Amino acid sequence: MEDLKSDRILEIKDDISNELRKAGYAEIGACIQCGNCTAGCPSGRRTALRTRSIIRKAILGLEEVLSDKELWLCTTCYTCFERCPRNLPITDMIIFLRNLAVQRGYILPNHLNLCRMFYDTGHGVPINDEKWNIMRESYGVNRVPPTVHTDPKYVKEVQELISSVGFDKTIAWGKYAKKEEKAEKK
Amino acid sequence: MSNSLRNDEEIKIGVYVCHCGINIAGVIDVPALTEYAKTLPNVALAKEYKFICSSIGQEMIKEDIEAGLINRVIVAACSPRMHEPTFRMVVKEVGVNEFLFEMANIREHATWVNLDDPEGAFKIAKDHVRMAVAKLSELKPLEVERVKVEPACLVIGAGIAGMNASIDLAKEGYDVYLVERTATIGGHMAQLDKTFPTMDCSACILTPRMVDVGREEKIHLMTYSEVEKVDGYVGNFDVTIKKKPHYVDQEACTGCGLCAIECPVICANEFEVGLGIRKAIYIPFPQAVPGEFTIDMTKCIKCGICATPEVCEPDAIRFDDKLEYVEIKVGTIIVATGWDLYDPTELKQYGYGKYPNVINGLEMERLLSSFGPLEGKPARPSDLEPPHSIGFLQCVGSRNFRPGGNNYCSRVCCMYATKQARQYKEKHPEASIYIFYMDIRAFGKGYEEFYESAGRNFGIKYIRGRIGEVYEDEDHSIIVRAEDTLLQKQIEIKLDMLVLSCGLVARYDADQIASILTIQRSADGFFMEAHPKLRPVDTLTDGIFVAGVAQGPKDIPDAVAQAKGAASGAASLMAMGEFAIEPYYSVVLEYKCSGCKSCQSLCPFNAISFDVFKNIAVINKALCKGCGTCAAACPSDAIVQNHFSDDQIFAMINTAIPPLAKTENGSK
Repeated sequence: MEDLKSDRILEIKDDISNELRKAGYAEIGACIQCGNCTAGCPSGRRTALRTRSIIRKAILGLEEVLSDKELWLCTTCYTCFERCPRNLPITDMIIFLRNLAVQRGYILPNHLNLCRMFYDTGHGVPINDEKWNIMRESYGVNRVPPTVHTDPKYVKEVQELISSVGFDKTIAWGKYAKKEEKAEKK
Repeated sequence: MSNSLRNDEEIKIGVYVCHCGINIAGVIDVPALTEYAKTLPNVALAKEYKFICSSIGQEMIKEDIEAGLINRVIVAACSPRMHEPTFRMVVKEVGVNEFLFEMANIREHATWVNLDDPEGAFKIAKDHVRMAVAKLSELKPLEVERVKVEPACLVIGAGIAGMNASIDLAKEGYDVYLVERTATIGGHMAQLDKTFPTMDCSACILTPRMVDVGREEKIHLMTYSEVEKVDGYVGNFDVTIKKKPHYVDQEACTGCGLCAIECPVICANEFEVGLGIRKAIYIPFPQAVPGEFTIDMTKCIKCGICATPEVCEPDAIRFDDKLEYVEIKVGTIIVATGWDLYDPTELKQYGYGKYPNVINGLEMERLLSSFGPLEGKPARPSDLEPPHSIGFLQCVGSRNFRPGGNNYCSRVCCMYATKQARQYKEKHPEASIYIFYMDIRAFGKGYEEFYESAGRNFGIKYIRGRIGEVYEDEDHSIIVRAEDTLLQKQIEIKLDMLVLSCGLVARYDADQIASILTIQRSADGFFMEAHPKLRPVDTLTDGIFVAGVAQGPKDIPDAVAQAKGAASGAASLMAMGEFAIEPYYSVVLEYKCSGCKSCQSLCPFNAISFDVFKNIAVINKALCKGCGTCAAACPSDAIVQNHFSDDQIFAMINTAIPPLAKTENGSK
């Protein structure tokens, strides 16, 4: 993904906080940046996740909040939500920001691969290695499970479903996707 | 007066439309509205002017009245809140009854709220003027009545606010009944060690005031007493005070203290917030006023040792002491009931009540106090060793929007934490002190300088970030987890002690006090002032004032200032000797009242009593606030509210909404 991090803030926008407000998270304006969320964050103790910074960047409308990997380090344990003195549904807001990130094309390579795999095979985790088939046989079940694997013609239906909600465009036009395609051309 | 009350003459209304600068004229066509007013029934003339409230505008009205052109006045301008009294004075000065005046609020109700819709605003303004004309045509002249004001004041609560108000009033020559629930006066300020930002010793500045209160002849001090009942109205409150039994003859006791030495019962001392001990027979602290002893009967085992002649030489112990009720009559009341400390036990993540070395701000205050349980040498409660590192956590329970939290800022915690940190640092320069804050509010005189000095001269470290979690180590040290929000790094450090800077909350029984006095509370639980800016010491009940933290969190200078304000408010009321009551009260039509008593239980001001001989309801004019609940509820239409009678209100409704029968096809 593109790294939009910058040491200087050259523009402050309302678009991200407005999106949050529209989605019913008007409380974002009540945040006093006390850091209670980061302080108790079990993920943040081990990773680069700084919950408070995510909210701060969202308030200032910095696009980097969506592009940064940090957004995906939250395990949605809801500890911050439980303790926030301003009663902000922080975890829900992070989930909303993730959706917004994907809508704007910021998808982690692994997530994108998963989505594409799903689009291509109808499975998030397809059986693409002979050893799984052998293992299934050893348990006395069919080599191939009764899914799109046995009926490949239904992959098309899965793809139709995905297209009907426009998710195919999201994964095709992801910023990461663009970058990757460029690299492939080179 | 009789001249102005004449009601049989022809109704000639003058309508004055105000431009209010551009507030009104910038949105609607004022000349057109004036022309419209001229077409309304009973309107003799209509005029416009830039600012009717100016002296030129006022003269305009006076001249027209004096010339006999009009005898009733409408001003179409702003909210009556501000200028209704102004114009009433104007019409009164030239002999028109002041209640034959009506305001049409075309600013707040029409132009301000419809800045982008001038046509709509004009339509609404026309409606308002038409309704005002309809109502004014029905209005009756009313006369203002006056009640006498008893030159005595009841002050509830003898903390720093109550004491100051009492001293002021006593010096002005009024009798003051100062009622205090505990056995001593002084309140919370007596528990404090030093005061920010001057570092004055709290006791040194408080105890002389306490002695003043005890010495002042006009102050009738009633400690260990509670207000049980308040009847009556402004100027004439009948107050019942419950005097709890001391079980010690307060006249005979010399305060020698031998009884407390001999008493075998040891219990926690409330004054030391449970950190110190006292006996069952006690005075809360050595400088207590009054200095006579009291027996706590919930703790006493009635061994009788204190009653023996060897222990109590003046023979002052009275085990048969009884609860007593005293009735007094006062003209005014000042409520200065103070505050309770927020209980942080519910905030489980901070471990208060679970880990011994997590304490609250008031406990720290007692530990720091030179006459506290540790004689001014703070130590960890777990091992009584002086701590090498102390953390202060700000905004505990404050600025908290979770259930049970206080939404407001308590205004004193930033400064008291800084003060306590500095006090400890003065004696232990080697200790590390961290103050975990979100925003520092050093707003008072000298506060910013005090805060600056804490960092510059004492090396107190301020960490911007709230502690999220607290754990205890094996040696009872406290491990805190926070974020330094300025560096975006998580902090996990070990502290010897953690002080929770808890906020102030309304007294646990504030609702009882509110219902005894029929005063209101705001959303934060504190007593509500009549106007947040212009009447900050009055309550909505005439004659009752509020002072100190009872009205909202504040520091000592503000509490004292407000107490002086409340004393001044009470004094000016008593100095006048009379109080004018608005004649908006409701009146019972005796021939219609069936004596069903429906109104009596509905009255929020306890203004309705029942005459058993006549079998009718009786409304006390002075207590009635004119809310209209009784008039609306009366099944026999026997209650009329002055100035808002059915005739007057229906006149407005009928002109606002034309009667349905007159619509074209008649079917609707």
